[in-house]
Amino acid sequence: MQTPANAGRLITPAMVGVGLLLVTVPFWITSAGLYQYIGVEILIWAIYALGFNLLLGTAGLPSFGHGAFFGIGAYAFGLTQFHVAANLWVCLLGGILAASLAGALVAAFVARRRGIYFAFLTIAFGQVFWFIAMKARDLTGGEDGLLPIARLPVDLGFVSFDLSDNVALYFFVLVLFLLTVVALWRLTYSPFGRILSAIRQSELRAAHLGYRVVLFKMLAFIVSAAFAGLAGSLFAMAQGGAFPEVMALHYSGYIVMMVLVGGGLVSFWGPVVGVVVFLLARDLLGAVTLTWMLWFGLLFVAVILFRPEGIAGVFQDLRRRLTRRATPQPAVRSTP
Amino acid sequence: MFTLIPFLINGLTLGLLFALIALGFMLIVGVMEQINLAHGSLFALGAYVAYAMLGPPLPFTGEVGAWWAALPLWLRYAVALIIAPCIVGLLGILIEQGMRRTYGKDPLFGLLLTFGAALVIEDLIRSIWGTRDYILPTPDAISGGFIALNLIWSSYRFFAAAAAAVFILLTWLLIERTRFGAVIKAGAHDSEMVRALGYDLAKLRIAVFAIGTMLAAAAGMIMAPIWGIRPHMGVDAVIPAFLIIVLGGVGSFWGAVIAGLLVGMVIGLTAAYASEWSLLSMYILLIVVVTFRSRGLFGKKSILEA
Repeated sequence: MQTPANAGRLITPAMVGVGLLLVTVPFWITSAGLYQYIGVEILIWAIYALGFNLLLGTAGLPSFGHGAFFGIGAYAFGLTQFHVAANLWVCLLGGILAASLAGALVAAFVARRRGIYFAFLTIAFGQVFWFIAMKARDLTGGEDGLLPIARLPVDLGFVSFDLSDNVALYFFVLVLFLLTVVALWRLTYSPFGRILSAIRQSELRAAHLGYRVVLFKMLAFIVSAAFAGLAGSLFAMAQGGAFPEVMALHYSGYIVMMVLVGGGLVSFWGPVVGVVVFLLARDLLGAVTLTWMLWFGLLFVAVILFRPEGIAGVFQDLRRRLTRRATPQPAVRSTP
Repeated sequence: MFTLIPFLINGLTLGLLFALIALGFMLIVGVMEQINLAHGSLFALGAYVAYAMLGPPLPFTGEVGAWWAALPLWLRYAVALIIAPCIVGLLGILIEQGMRRTYGKDPLFGLLLTFGAALVIEDLIRSIWGTRDYILPTPDAISGGFIALNLIWSSYRFFAAAAAAVFILLTWLLIERTRFGAVIKAGAHDSEMVRALGYDLAKLRIAVFAIGTMLAAAAGMIMAPIWGIRPHMGVDAVIPAFLIIVLGGVGSFWGAVIAGLLVGMVIGLTAAYASEWSLLSMYILLIVVVTFRSRGLFGKKSILEA
């Protein structure tokens, strides 16, 4: 299980390497046979998944309605653009705020529940929001979605960037992704994250230690909803519209699948691994067969059955096995 | 007031069907404390298998196919109502075999496993039958409509309500009036004791899962002519099912039936005033009830709360 004790440092040589790799993605991704846009999509879902994992992996709360906050972020981004101001920062703020407020509302109902009851209630709330998005046609455009949402320029005051190009959009989302990583890393390994972890291990024990369990569960829920809102906003901008299907039960399930397949239960980076695997599987398997979910579903079932700690867990096992074999050597060498 | 009668009767019919959809789900939750999110997909599969048995083109050729096609529709329908759930039940047993590995772990794993199974079954359906809609043929005796109270009523809806009531009654008899039912209830309460008395709990669980799956498939076949056979029907079924279980209280048979009727009535009545929003009403109903009574209307304390 992911414990605050094994936090380590965020900036390690390996991470710098991964960071450099991320920067070069737009230059080789098309020659790897993938669409330029998938890089953007992976980063957006990674933001969503990392935020979601604060709830699922760290606090142990299985929300099955989180697509609602992603969708609310998307709609709020579009609605802010249409009715308030066509300014990127204002729209992003609108998306994040709307998702956080909806998160707070839902959290007020679900934070007192545990386990399956928590999952049940989040499904119900997710469905309510999905239903509203489908039926409030005047506001959301119903099944057709809210269209057209523009890719607003990044205005920094002294200079502004146009995001209509997918490469430019990739770099903008990359910056937000890195900020998300830093923010969530700090949160996960802060006293706040430790308390969430304590709540996951035993809610009763955490309560007896004097922590206000319900309050902390609410906060975790709101934070994860806020990041879902950010991801949803970016998604709406990248796709050029907000659509109700991202709020449907299936999409809420997909994020749970991504996080678990990647290994969100045991690793901070697990969710990102899961997103990459899920989206690549969708594109690569989807190119071969229309029923790619059949195969990914089987993979998911296999992960749940045999490796609940996911892909990251497999890597951790490998590393442990390698380091165990390597450890005696320095001990021998240290004696001159 | 008089104009409300059709809505009330429709609500009651829908309620019985919802209760039937929820019943198999309830059995598995109540006895094994496992949430079977694949319930909706198994429900859909029941409808598709029934279509394969009744609708043209025939799924098998040769002598057997010709012999089967020559039988009158009502006979084929009656046979399909028994055989289709049995075929789907076999798949249920397969899921239970996988789920076995998650027993004793966080119930979240069972939930996720069945979510994965649901996706696999849905895509399996899509790869066999595609995404188009089908209509399940029904025997003449229960097709068409009749006029009463100056309104046209569909005969099939009454047949479906009656069939649902029969299945509900059979399930009740099985749980409350047989030795098997007594043992599975005891097993849910105290598995150690049941094992000590010499019952094979593993086999009991397989049986419960198979029966729950068969009820889902039967509900799917009964519901098919009303909803139409389409890929989305599984999701449309699993959500009311879990809603009804939470509303009625996990593990309570009559809770599920009453909650099913309640949800059906609420949908039926809101349909009279705001048809666009009638499905929303059941979510609101759930949120209100669970906020004030976390165990639902008739629920007892369950380990699912831990």
